[in-house]
Amino acid sequence: MVLLLLAGVIVGLVVIDLRNSRLDKRPDNPYEYSVDQFKSVDPALIRYEETIDFTFGDLDLRGIAFANNRLYLVEDFYLVIVSPEGKKLVKTELPESPICVTASSKGIFIGYKNHISQYTTDGMLVKNWEPLNDSAVITSLALADSLLFAADAGNRKVLKYRTDGTFSGSFNGKRDSADLHGFIIPSPYFELAVNPYGELWVVNPGMHAFENYSFDGTLREYWDKTGMTIDAFSGCCNPAQMAVMPDGSFVTAEKGMVRIKIHKASGELESVVAPAEMFGGGTYAPDLAVSPSGDIYALDYEKKMIRVFQLIKTK
Amino acid sequence: MKRKTFINNSGRLILMGGLVYLTGSIILKRKVSASGKYVWQIDPFKCTQCGRCATQCVRDLSAVKCVHAYQLCGYCDLCGGYFKPNTHKLNTGAESQLCPTGALKRKYVEEPFFEYTIDEKLCNACGKCVKGCGSFGNGSLHLQIRHNLCQNCNECSIARLCPSNAISRVPIEAAYQIKGDFKKPVITAPK
Repeated sequence: MVLLLLAGVIVGLVVIDLRNSRLDKRPDNPYEYSVDQFKSVDPALIRYEETIDFTFGDLDLRGIAFANNRLYLVEDFYLVIVSPEGKKLVKTELPESPICVTASSKGIFIGYKNHISQYTTDGMLVKNWEPLNDSAVITSLALADSLLFAADAGNRKVLKYRTDGTFSGSFNGKRDSADLHGFIIPSPYFELAVNPYGELWVVNPGMHAFENYSFDGTLREYWDKTGMTIDAFSGCCNPAQMAVMPDGSFVTAEKGMVRIKIHKASGELESVVAPAEMFGGGTYAPDLAVSPSGDIYALDYEKKMIRVFQLIKTK
Repeated sequence: MKRKTFINNSGRLILMGGLVYLTGSIILKRKVSASGKYVWQIDPFKCTQCGRCATQCVRDLSAVKCVHAYQLCGYCDLCGGYFKPNTHKLNTGAESQLCPTGALKRKYVEEPFFEYTIDEKLCNACGKCVKGCGSFGNGSLHLQIRHNLCQNCNECSIARLCPSNAISRVPIEAAYQIKGDFKKPVITAPK
Protein backbone atom coordinates (compact mmCIF):
# COMPACT_ATOMS: atom_id res chain seq x y z
CA MET A 1 0.00 0.00 0.00
CA VAL A 2 2.81 2.41 0.97
CA LEU A 3 4.71 1.51 -2.19
CA LEU A 4 1.65 2.21 -4.32
CA LEU A 5 1.21 5.60 -2.63
CA LEU A 6 4.88 6.43 -3.22
CA ALA A 7 4.59 5.42 -6.88
CA GLY A 8 1.51 7.65 -7.19
CA VAL A 9 3.38 10.63 -5.71
CA ILE A 10 6.33 10.06 -8.07
CA VAL A 11 4.07 9.83 -11.12
CA GLY A 12 2.28 13.00 -9.97
CA LEU A 13 5.56 14.90 -9.62
CA VAL A 14 6.68 13.77 -13.07
CA VAL A 15 3.38 14.88 -14.63
CA ILE A 16 3.58 18.32 -12.92
CA ASP A 17 7.20 18.71 -14.06
CA LEU A 18 6.33 17.80 -17.64
CA ARG A 19 3.39 20.22 -17.67
CA ASN A 20 5.59 23.05 -16.39
CA SER A 21 8.18 22.32 -19.10
CA ARG A 22 5.67 22.81 -21.90
CA LEU A 23 6.48 25.71 -24.23
CA ASP A 24 3.36 27.66 -23.26
CA LYS A 25 4.11 27.22 -19.54
CA ARG A 26 7.70 28.45 -19.67
CA PRO A 27 8.46 31.73 -17.93
CA ASP A 28 8.63 34.94 -19.95
CA ASN A 29 12.03 36.28 -20.87
CA PRO A 30 12.77 39.19 -18.54
CA TYR A 31 15.60 40.27 -20.86
CA GLU A 32 13.54 40.30 -24.06
CA TYR A 33 15.26 42.30 -26.79
CA SER A 34 13.21 42.45 -29.93
CA VAL A 35 14.67 43.66 -33.21
CA ASP A 36 11.36 43.15 -35.02
CA GLN A 37 10.86 46.90 -35.31
CA PHE A 38 13.84 46.93 -37.69
CA LYS A 39 12.61 43.97 -39.74
CA SER A 40 9.30 45.47 -40.78
CA VAL A 41 9.19 48.76 -42.63
CA ASP A 42 6.52 51.28 -43.49
CA PRO A 43 4.60 49.69 -46.42
CA ALA A 44 4.60 53.08 -48.16
CA LEU A 45 8.38 52.77 -48.55
CA ILE A 46 8.13 49.44 -50.38
CA ARG A 47 7.83 50.24 -54.08
CA TYR A 48 8.91 46.89 -55.50
CA GLU A 49 7.28 43.49 -55.61
CA GLU A 50 8.73 40.04 -56.13
CA THR A 51 7.44 38.88 -59.50
CA ILE A 52 9.45 35.86 -60.64
CA ASP A 53 11.79 33.40 -58.96
CA PHE A 54 13.90 30.88 -60.74
CA THR A 55 16.30 28.24 -59.63
CA PHE A 56 18.65 25.80 -61.30
CA GLY A 57 18.74 23.09 -58.69
CA ASP A 58 20.95 22.64 -55.69
CA LEU A 59 23.71 25.04 -56.72
CA ASP A 60 26.11 27.15 -54.70
CA LEU A 61 25.46 30.49 -56.35
CA ARG A 62 28.24 33.07 -56.07
CA GLY A 63 27.62 36.09 -58.26
CA ILE A 64 25.29 37.65 -60.83
CA ALA A 65 25.53 40.29 -63.57
CA PHE A 66 23.18 41.63 -66.24
CA ALA A 67 24.39 42.71 -69.69
CA ASN A 68 23.60 42.13 -73.37
CA ASN A 69 20.00 41.25 -72.34
CA ARG A 70 21.41 38.21 -70.54
CA LEU A 71 21.94 37.21 -66.94
CA TYR A 72 25.40 35.89 -66.11
CA LEU A 73 25.59 33.65 -63.08
CA VAL A 74 28.67 32.15 -61.50
CA GLU A 75 28.36 29.21 -59.15
CA ASP A 76 30.46 26.31 -57.94
CA PHE A 77 31.85 25.49 -60.54
CA TYR A 78 30.04 26.86 -63.58
CA LEU A 79 29.33 29.98 -65.56
CA VAL A 80 25.67 29.95 -66.58
CA ILE A 81 24.17 32.32 -69.13
CA VAL A 82 20.44 32.78 -68.66
CA SER A 83 17.71 34.74 -70.43
CA PRO A 84 15.97 37.40 -68.30
CA GLU A 85 12.99 35.04 -68.03
CA GLY A 86 15.16 32.33 -66.47
CA LYS A 87 15.84 30.07 -69.47
CA LYS A 88 19.28 28.48 -69.30
CA LEU A 89 21.21 29.18 -72.53
CA VAL A 90 24.86 28.23 -71.89
CA LYS A 91 26.65 26.37 -69.10
CA THR A 92 30.44 26.37 -69.00
CA GLU A 93 32.59 24.58 -66.44
CA LEU A 94 34.96 26.70 -64.34
CA PRO A 95 38.29 25.48 -62.95
CA GLU A 96 37.76 26.75 -59.39
CA SER A 97 35.25 28.47 -57.13
CA PRO A 98 34.36 31.90 -58.56
CA ILE A 99 33.48 34.92 -56.43
CA CYS A 100 32.05 37.58 -58.74
CA VAL A 101 31.21 38.35 -62.36
CA THR A 102 30.63 41.30 -64.65
CA ALA A 103 29.92 41.50 -68.36
CA SER A 104 29.49 43.82 -71.33
CA SER A 105 29.60 43.50 -75.10
CA LYS A 106 33.41 43.12 -74.70
CA GLY A 107 33.03 39.85 -72.84
CA ILE A 108 32.47 38.20 -69.48
CA PHE A 109 34.93 38.76 -66.64
CA ILE A 110 34.99 36.38 -63.69
CA GLY A 111 36.74 37.19 -60.42
CA TYR A 112 38.32 34.33 -58.49
CA LYS A 113 40.13 34.69 -55.19
CA ASN A 114 43.32 36.15 -56.64
CA HIS A 115 42.87 36.35 -60.40
CA ILE A 116 40.47 37.33 -63.15
CA SER A 117 39.48 35.27 -66.18
CA GLN A 118 38.10 36.68 -69.40
CA TYR A 119 35.44 34.88 -71.46
CA THR A 120 33.62 35.70 -74.70
CA THR A 121 29.95 36.66 -74.39
CA ASP A 122 29.18 33.06 -75.44
CA GLY A 123 31.09 31.65 -72.48
CA MET A 124 34.36 30.60 -74.21
CA LEU A 125 37.57 31.19 -72.25
CA VAL A 126 39.72 33.97 -73.75
CA LYS A 127 42.49 34.02 -71.15
CA ASN A 128 43.36 33.95 -67.47
CA TRP A 129 44.91 37.21 -66.31
CA GLU A 130 48.08 37.46 -64.27
CA PRO A 131 47.35 36.32 -60.68
CA LEU A 132 47.67 38.67 -57.70
CA ASN A 133 49.40 37.85 -54.41
CA ASP A 134 47.98 35.27 -51.98
CA SER A 135 46.35 37.93 -49.78
CA ALA A 136 44.09 39.05 -52.61
CA VAL A 137 40.35 38.41 -52.44
CA ILE A 138 38.59 39.85 -55.48
CA THR A 139 35.00 40.56 -54.45
CA SER A 140 33.62 42.82 -57.16
CA LEU A 141 34.24 43.82 -60.78
CA ALA A 142 32.98 46.77 -62.83
CA LEU A 143 33.49 47.80 -66.45
CA ALA A 144 33.91 51.32 -67.78
CA ASP A 145 34.34 51.25 -71.54
CA SER A 146 37.80 49.71 -72.06
CA LEU A 147 38.70 49.64 -68.35
CA LEU A 148 37.92 47.05 -65.73
CA PHE A 149 37.99 47.88 -62.01
CA ALA A 150 38.39 45.12 -59.44
CA ALA A 151 37.80 45.40 -55.68
CA ASP A 152 40.51 43.49 -53.81
CA ALA A 153 39.18 43.08 -50.25
CA GLY A 154 42.27 41.18 -49.10
CA ASN A 155 44.70 43.98 -49.96
CA ARG A 156 42.08 46.74 -49.46
CA LYS A 157 42.70 48.18 -52.89
CA VAL A 158 40.86 49.01 -56.07
CA LEU A 159 42.74 47.65 -59.08
CA LYS A 160 42.53 49.09 -62.57
CA TYR A 161 43.01 46.97 -65.70
CA ARG A 162 42.52 47.43 -69.40
CA THR A 163 40.02 44.94 -70.80
CA ASP A 164 42.86 43.11 -72.52
CA GLY A 165 44.20 42.22 -69.05
CA THR A 166 46.94 44.86 -68.78
CA PHE A 167 47.30 46.07 -65.17
CA SER A 168 47.34 49.86 -65.07
CA GLY A 169 47.38 50.89 -61.42
CA SER A 170 45.63 50.73 -58.07
CA PHE A 171 44.54 52.96 -55.21
CA ASN A 172 43.83 52.29 -51.54
CA GLY A 173 41.37 55.06 -50.65
CA LYS A 174 43.82 57.13 -48.58
CA ARG A 175 43.34 60.82 -49.25
CA ASP A 176 46.96 61.61 -48.39
CA SER A 177 49.99 59.74 -47.11
CA ALA A 178 49.27 60.79 -43.49
CA ASP A 179 45.93 58.97 -43.51
CA LEU A 180 45.97 55.98 -41.19
CA HIS A 181 43.39 54.02 -43.16
CA GLY A 182 41.99 53.99 -46.62
CA PHE A 183 39.30 51.46 -47.31
CA ILE A 184 38.16 49.75 -44.10
CA ILE A 185 37.13 46.20 -44.85
CA PRO A 186 36.72 44.02 -41.75
CA SER A 187 35.32 41.07 -43.73
CA PRO A 188 35.47 40.26 -47.45
CA TYR A 189 32.64 42.48 -48.65
CA PHE A 190 33.97 45.22 -50.89
CA GLU A 191 31.82 46.46 -53.74
CA LEU A 192 32.28 48.84 -56.64
CA ALA A 193 30.26 49.85 -59.69
CA VAL A 194 30.39 52.27 -62.60
CA ASN A 195 27.13 54.18 -63.02
CA PRO A 196 25.47 55.06 -66.36
CA TYR A 197 27.27 58.43 -66.32
CA GLY A 198 30.67 56.72 -66.22
CA GLU A 199 31.41 57.50 -62.55
CA LEU A 200 33.25 54.97 -60.40
CA TRP A 201 31.60 54.42 -57.01
CA VAL A 202 33.29 52.33 -54.34
CA VAL A 203 31.66 51.14 -51.10
CA ASN A 204 33.86 51.72 -48.05
CA PRO A 205 31.96 49.18 -45.92
CA GLY A 206 33.68 49.83 -42.58
CA MET A 207 32.59 53.46 -42.80
CA HIS A 208 29.15 52.71 -44.35
CA ALA A 209 30.23 55.11 -47.09
CA PHE A 210 29.83 55.42 -50.84
CA GLU A 211 32.90 57.08 -52.36
CA ASN A 212 33.16 58.46 -55.87
CA TYR A 213 36.65 58.27 -57.37
CA SER A 214 38.13 59.49 -60.61
CA PHE A 215 39.67 56.68 -62.64
CA ASP A 216 43.13 57.62 -61.32
CA GLY A 217 41.96 57.14 -57.70
CA THR A 218 41.25 60.72 -56.58
CA LEU A 219 38.29 61.02 -54.22
CA ARG A 220 35.70 63.35 -55.73
CA GLU A 221 32.76 63.06 -53.34
CA TYR A 222 31.28 60.71 -50.80
CA TRP A 223 28.31 60.16 -48.53
CA ASP A 224 27.88 57.91 -45.54
CA LYS A 225 24.93 56.79 -43.41
CA THR A 226 25.58 54.98 -40.13
CA GLY A 227 22.65 53.85 -38.02
CA MET A 228 20.30 51.00 -37.30
CA THR A 229 17.25 52.54 -38.95
CA ILE A 230 16.05 51.71 -42.46
CA ASP A 231 17.62 54.81 -44.04
CA ALA A 232 21.15 53.92 -42.87
CA PHE A 233 23.65 51.05 -42.68
CA SER A 234 24.84 49.26 -39.57
CA GLY A 235 27.26 46.50 -38.69
CA CYS A 236 30.87 46.27 -39.67
CA CYS A 237 30.64 45.86 -43.45
CA ASN A 238 27.56 47.28 -45.03
CA PRO A 239 26.27 47.59 -47.62
CA ALA A 240 27.72 44.20 -48.45
CA GLN A 241 26.39 44.21 -52.02
CA MET A 242 25.63 47.05 -54.38
CA ALA A 243 24.56 47.69 -57.98
CA VAL A 244 23.61 50.85 -59.84
CA MET A 245 20.14 51.57 -61.20
CA PRO A 246 19.62 53.04 -64.70
CA ASP A 247 19.10 56.53 -63.17
CA GLY A 248 22.38 56.38 -61.19
CA SER A 249 20.85 55.57 -57.81
CA PHE A 250 22.18 52.63 -55.80
CA VAL A 251 20.44 49.39 -54.96
CA THR A 252 22.03 47.94 -51.84
CA ALA A 253 21.87 44.67 -49.92
CA GLU A 254 22.92 44.37 -46.29
CA LYS A 255 24.18 41.41 -44.34
CA GLY A 256 23.23 40.67 -40.73
CA MET A 257 19.71 41.99 -41.06
CA VAL A 258 19.27 41.23 -44.73
CA ARG A 259 17.33 43.85 -46.65
CA ILE A 260 17.44 45.45 -50.10
CA LYS A 261 16.98 49.20 -50.52
CA ILE A 262 17.49 51.94 -53.07
CA HIS A 263 19.43 55.07 -52.15
CA LYS A 264 19.60 58.14 -54.34
CA ALA A 265 23.01 59.06 -55.74
CA SER A 266 23.16 61.72 -53.03
CA GLY A 267 22.52 59.17 -50.28
CA GLU A 268 18.89 59.67 -49.23
CA LEU A 269 16.76 56.56 -48.97
CA GLU A 270 14.54 56.40 -52.03
CA SER A 271 12.60 53.19 -51.46
CA VAL A 272 12.71 49.68 -50.06
CA VAL A 273 12.87 46.74 -52.46
CA ALA A 274 12.67 43.90 -49.94
CA PRO A 275 12.46 44.23 -46.14
CA ALA A 276 14.23 41.83 -43.76
CA GLU A 277 10.97 39.92 -43.29
CA MET A 278 11.41 38.48 -46.80
CA PHE A 279 14.71 36.79 -46.02
CA GLY A 280 13.89 34.30 -43.27
CA GLY A 281 16.74 33.65 -40.91
CA GLY A 282 19.48 34.16 -43.48
CA THR A 283 22.34 36.52 -42.82
CA TYR A 284 24.09 36.71 -46.21
CA ALA A 285 23.46 39.75 -48.36
CA PRO A 286 22.25 38.74 -51.82
CA ASP A 287 24.39 39.71 -54.78
CA LEU A 288 22.51 42.08 -57.06
CA ALA A 289 22.14 42.84 -60.75
CA VAL A 290 19.95 45.40 -62.49
CA SER A 291 18.49 45.28 -66.00
CA PRO A 292 18.34 48.44 -68.17
CA SER A 293 14.59 48.60 -67.44
CA GLY A 294 15.27 48.68 -63.69
CA ASP A 295 14.33 45.12 -62.75
CA ILE A 296 16.40 43.94 -59.79
CA TYR A 297 17.82 40.41 -59.67
CA ALA A 298 18.90 39.14 -56.25
CA LEU A 299 20.74 35.92 -55.48
CA ASP A 300 19.20 34.25 -52.46
CA TYR A 301 22.04 32.03 -51.22
CA GLU A 302 19.95 30.20 -48.65
CA LYS A 303 17.07 29.33 -50.97
CA LYS A 304 19.48 28.87 -53.90
CA MET A 305 17.34 30.91 -56.25
CA ILE A 306 17.28 34.13 -58.22
CA ARG A 307 14.55 36.44 -56.96
CA VAL A 308 13.32 39.14 -59.35
CA PHE A 309 11.87 42.41 -58.05
CA GLN A 310 9.99 44.85 -60.24
CA LEU A 311 8.58 48.30 -59.61
CA ILE A 312 4.96 48.08 -58.48
CA LYS A 313 2.82 49.38 -61.30
CA THR A 314 0.56 52.20 -60.18
CA LYS A 315 -2.98 52.21 -61.57
CA MET B 1 1.70 -20.27 -32.80
CA LYS B 2 0.28 -20.41 -29.32
CA ARG B 3 -0.52 -17.13 -27.57
CA LYS B 4 1.92 -17.91 -24.74
CA THR B 5 4.76 -18.59 -27.18
CA PHE B 6 3.95 -15.39 -29.09
CA ILE B 7 4.12 -13.30 -25.89
CA ASN B 8 7.39 -14.97 -24.85
CA ASN B 9 8.98 -14.40 -28.27
CA SER B 10 7.82 -10.78 -28.36
CA GLY B 11 9.31 -10.16 -24.91
CA ARG B 12 12.65 -11.65 -25.98
CA LEU B 13 12.62 -9.54 -29.15
CA ILE B 14 11.99 -6.34 -27.21
CA LEU B 15 14.77 -7.18 -24.71
CA MET B 16 17.19 -7.99 -27.55
CA GLY B 17 16.30 -4.73 -29.34
CA GLY B 18 16.89 -2.74 -26.17
CA LEU B 19 20.27 -4.39 -25.65
CA VAL B 20 21.33 -3.68 -29.24
CA TYR B 21 20.23 -0.02 -28.87
CA LEU B 22 22.13 0.44 -25.59
CA THR B 23 25.29 -1.24 -26.89
CA GLY B 24 25.15 0.76 -30.13
CA SER B 25 24.70 4.09 -28.40
CA ILE B 26 27.60 3.34 -26.01
CA ILE B 27 29.89 2.42 -28.92
CA LEU B 28 28.87 5.54 -30.85
CA LYS B 29 29.52 7.74 -27.82
CA ARG B 30 32.95 6.17 -27.37
CA LYS B 31 33.74 7.09 -30.94
CA VAL B 32 33.04 10.74 -30.14
CA SER B 33 34.74 11.09 -26.79
CA ALA B 34 38.10 9.46 -26.26
CA SER B 35 38.03 10.07 -22.52
CA GLY B 36 34.33 9.23 -22.19
CA LYS B 37 33.73 12.54 -20.39
CA TYR B 38 31.06 14.94 -21.50
CA VAL B 39 30.18 18.49 -20.54
CA TRP B 40 27.25 20.77 -21.35
CA GLN B 41 27.77 23.35 -24.07
CA ILE B 42 25.77 25.77 -26.24
CA ASP B 43 25.75 25.51 -30.03
CA PRO B 44 26.05 29.21 -30.98
CA PHE B 45 24.31 28.60 -34.30
CA LYS B 46 21.21 27.16 -32.62
CA CYS B 47 21.01 29.67 -29.76
CA THR B 48 18.14 32.16 -30.10
CA GLN B 49 19.13 34.35 -27.12
CA CYS B 50 15.87 33.64 -25.30
CA GLY B 51 17.30 34.91 -22.01
CA ARG B 52 16.77 31.67 -20.07
CA CYS B 53 20.50 31.11 -19.56
CA ALA B 54 20.30 34.09 -17.20
CA THR B 55 17.39 32.80 -15.16
CA GLN B 56 17.49 28.99 -15.22
CA CYS B 57 21.06 28.10 -14.23
CA VAL B 58 21.37 26.62 -10.73
CA ARG B 59 24.22 29.02 -10.02
CA ASP B 60 23.33 32.39 -8.49
CA LEU B 61 25.06 34.13 -11.39
CA SER B 62 24.75 31.93 -14.45
CA ALA B 63 27.67 29.74 -15.56
CA VAL B 64 26.84 30.87 -19.09
CA LYS B 65 28.86 33.89 -20.23
CA CYS B 66 29.11 35.95 -23.34
CA VAL B 67 32.33 35.25 -25.25
CA HIS B 68 33.86 37.16 -28.13
CA ALA B 69 35.29 35.67 -31.31
CA TYR B 70 37.68 38.52 -32.02
CA GLN B 71 38.64 37.30 -35.47
CA LEU B 72 35.04 37.84 -36.56
CA CYS B 73 34.59 41.26 -34.94
CA GLY B 74 34.56 44.38 -37.09
CA TYR B 75 35.67 46.60 -34.16
CA CYS B 76 32.83 48.93 -35.17
CA ASP B 77 32.11 52.32 -33.69
CA LEU B 78 28.37 51.62 -33.92
CA CYS B 79 28.28 48.16 -32.32
CA GLY B 80 24.85 46.52 -32.37
CA GLY B 81 25.82 44.46 -29.34
CA TYR B 82 26.94 47.43 -27.25
CA PHE B 83 24.47 50.18 -28.09
CA LYS B 84 20.74 50.37 -27.65
CA PRO B 85 18.98 50.87 -30.98
CA ASN B 86 18.58 54.49 -32.01
CA THR B 87 20.96 55.70 -29.32
CA HIS B 88 21.74 59.37 -29.78
CA LYS B 89 25.43 59.41 -28.96
CA LEU B 90 28.01 56.69 -29.49
CA ASN B 91 29.65 56.94 -26.09
CA THR B 92 29.98 54.80 -22.95
CA GLY B 93 27.10 56.47 -21.11
CA ALA B 94 24.94 53.95 -19.24
CA GLU B 95 21.85 55.23 -21.04
CA SER B 96 23.37 54.18 -24.37
CA GLN B 97 24.34 50.67 -23.36
CA LEU B 98 22.30 47.60 -24.21
CA CYS B 99 23.89 45.39 -21.53
CA PRO B 100 21.77 45.57 -18.33
CA THR B 101 24.81 44.97 -16.10
CA GLY B 102 27.47 46.96 -17.98
CA ALA B 103 29.49 43.80 -18.59
CA LEU B 104 30.39 44.69 -22.16
CA LYS B 105 33.28 47.14 -22.18
CA ARG B 106 34.21 49.46 -25.05
CA LYS B 107 37.74 50.72 -25.57
CA TYR B 108 39.03 53.07 -28.25
CA VAL B 109 41.79 51.50 -30.35
CA GLU B 110 42.40 53.95 -33.19
CA GLU B 111 40.15 55.82 -35.58
CA PRO B 112 37.63 54.34 -36.39
CA PHE B 113 38.08 51.11 -34.39
CA PHE B 114 36.79 50.14 -30.93
CA GLU B 115 37.49 46.95 -29.02
CA TYR B 116 34.75 45.22 -27.04
CA THR B 117 35.56 42.94 -24.11
CA ILE B 118 33.40 41.13 -21.58
CA ASP B 119 33.72 41.42 -17.81
CA GLU B 120 32.60 37.90 -16.90
CA LYS B 121 32.09 38.82 -13.26
CA LEU B 122 29.25 41.08 -14.39
CA CYS B 123 27.86 39.09 -17.31
CA ASN B 124 24.54 37.41 -16.43
CA ALA B 125 24.10 35.63 -19.79
CA CYS B 126 20.97 37.53 -20.82
CA GLY B 127 22.14 37.39 -24.45
CA LYS B 128 20.98 40.89 -25.39
CA CYS B 129 24.40 41.81 -26.77
CA VAL B 130 24.50 38.53 -28.70
CA LYS B 131 21.18 39.28 -30.34
CA GLY B 132 22.25 42.83 -31.20
CA CYS B 133 25.58 41.68 -32.61
CA GLY B 134 23.97 38.95 -34.72
CA SER B 135 21.23 41.23 -36.01
CA PHE B 136 23.36 44.19 -36.98
CA GLY B 137 26.92 42.89 -37.11
CA ASN B 138 29.04 39.83 -37.75
CA GLY B 139 27.72 37.76 -34.84
CA SER B 140 31.08 37.64 -33.10
CA LEU B 141 29.50 37.79 -29.62
CA HIS B 142 27.90 34.55 -28.47
CA LEU B 143 27.05 32.57 -25.34
CA GLN B 144 29.11 29.69 -23.96
CA ILE B 145 29.00 27.67 -20.75
CA ARG B 146 32.13 28.38 -18.73
CA HIS B 147 33.38 25.07 -17.36
CA ASN B 148 35.23 26.67 -14.46
CA LEU B 149 31.79 27.81 -13.26
CA CYS B 150 29.48 25.06 -14.52
CA GLN B 151 28.64 22.30 -12.03
CA ASN B 152 28.00 19.91 -14.92
CA CYS B 153 24.69 18.80 -13.44
CA ASN B 154 23.36 15.44 -14.48
CA GLU B 155 20.46 17.28 -16.09
CA CYS B 156 21.22 20.86 -17.05
CA SER B 157 18.34 23.02 -15.86
CA ILE B 158 18.85 25.46 -18.74
CA ALA B 159 18.91 22.68 -21.34
CA ARG B 160 15.53 21.46 -20.08
CA LEU B 161 13.90 24.76 -20.97
CA CYS B 162 16.03 25.81 -23.95
CA PRO B 163 13.46 26.41 -26.73
CA SER B 164 15.93 25.73 -29.55
CA ASN B 165 17.67 22.67 -28.05
CA ALA B 166 20.95 24.55 -28.35
CA ILE B 167 22.43 22.99 -25.21
CA SER B 168 23.73 19.44 -25.36
CA ARG B 169 26.49 17.29 -23.92
CA VAL B 170 29.70 17.52 -25.93
CA PRO B 171 32.96 15.60 -25.52
CA ILE B 172 35.26 17.28 -23.03
CA GLU B 173 37.97 17.40 -25.73
CA ALA B 174 35.79 19.94 -27.58
CA ALA B 175 34.35 21.66 -24.54
CA TYR B 176 33.95 25.07 -26.18
CA GLN B 177 32.24 25.89 -29.46
CA ILE B 178 33.71 29.30 -30.21
CA LYS B 179 32.58 30.84 -33.48
CA GLY B 180 35.36 31.12 -36.00
CA ASP B 181 36.92 27.76 -35.20
CA PHE B 182 33.51 26.16 -34.72
CA LYS B 183 31.58 26.67 -37.94
CA LYS B 184 27.95 26.37 -38.87
CA PRO B 185 27.88 23.01 -40.62
CA VAL B 186 25.53 23.40 -43.58
CA ILE B 187 25.52 26.89 -45.10
CA THR B 188 28.01 27.65 -47.83
CA ALA B 189 29.22 31.18 -47.24
CA PRO B 190 29.16 33.28 -50.40
CA LYS B 191 32.15 35.49 -51.11
